[in-house]
Amino acid sequence: MSIDRSHLGYALPAFTVEVSAARIAAFLLAIGDSSASSTVAPLTFMKAIEGEHNSSQRIMETLGVDLRRVLHAEQQFDYLGPIRAGDQLSVERRVTDLYEKKNGALEFIVIESSIRHAARGLLGRSRQVVLVRNPVAKAA
Amino acid sequence: MMDIDTAALGECLAESITSPITREQLAQYAAASGDSNPLHLDPAFAKKAGFEDVIVHGMLGMAVLGRLLSAHFAAHTVHKFDARFVAVLPVGETLRCRARLASREDDGITLDLEALDGQGRLIINGSAQLAAGI
Repeated sequence: MSIDRSHLGYALPAFTVEVSAARIAAFLLAIGDSSASSTVAPLTFMKAIEGEHNSSQRIMETLGVDLRRVLHAEQQFDYLGPIRAGDQLSVERRVTDLYEKKNGALEFIVIESSIRHAARGLLGRSRQVVLVRNPVAKAA
Repeated sequence: MMDIDTAALGECLAESITSPITREQLAQYAAASGDSNPLHLDPAFAKKAGFEDVIVHGMLGMAVLGRLLSAHFAAHTVHKFDARFVAVLPVGETLRCRARLASREDDGITLDLEALDGQGRLIINGSAQLAAGI
């Protein structure tokens, strides 16, 4: 395992994200859904919220992972309330699991995020599994 | 429109197909989502990573599945939505998405989701839990 186990539990400092109608509209356009209303965030918009401030890249840098080796393996969202244009949200992200398969050739990083509104409480949770493909040691 | 109340388990309730996904779309998605990993934008970087060309963001594929849910199950509220990215999708490929009825509960339904490329290869599978009512 090349990722240091001490990173298990690593959390980014909580950060704030302002959701504007323009951002939702740009996201809808990018996913080919320009006819949808930009007043409510589409289902996978939580990914854009949690990725704010380059947060995913910062986690990978902290863990010392080369971006060329990473692939997104799994993604899960839980929806507890709608995210709307104008919402001011607080985001927390944490590394909740690290494991490996195939004698370390494949490493997995689990990152969980929570997205909260000051008055409406927890609106969503995200769980992401990142796959790191390590170079296989070649026989001499 | 398929009637969810009478559909058999396993029945396909909704289906969609995209146009070939272009480099411009990947750049647009990178800007809108904040995922600027060069695997999706820079062919030279993608080659160094072992791919022939840039690959489509897994999350763009999941977003297309999400559109299928929003478009066809607007009378439901999505509580859970998950995806496993089984294979990478090269730029220029289409995605065909399907939602099948997996189970019916008192207060909602569970769907099995899949996204296939133009050759019918499985790219993403997943599921969604929906509650009746919005």
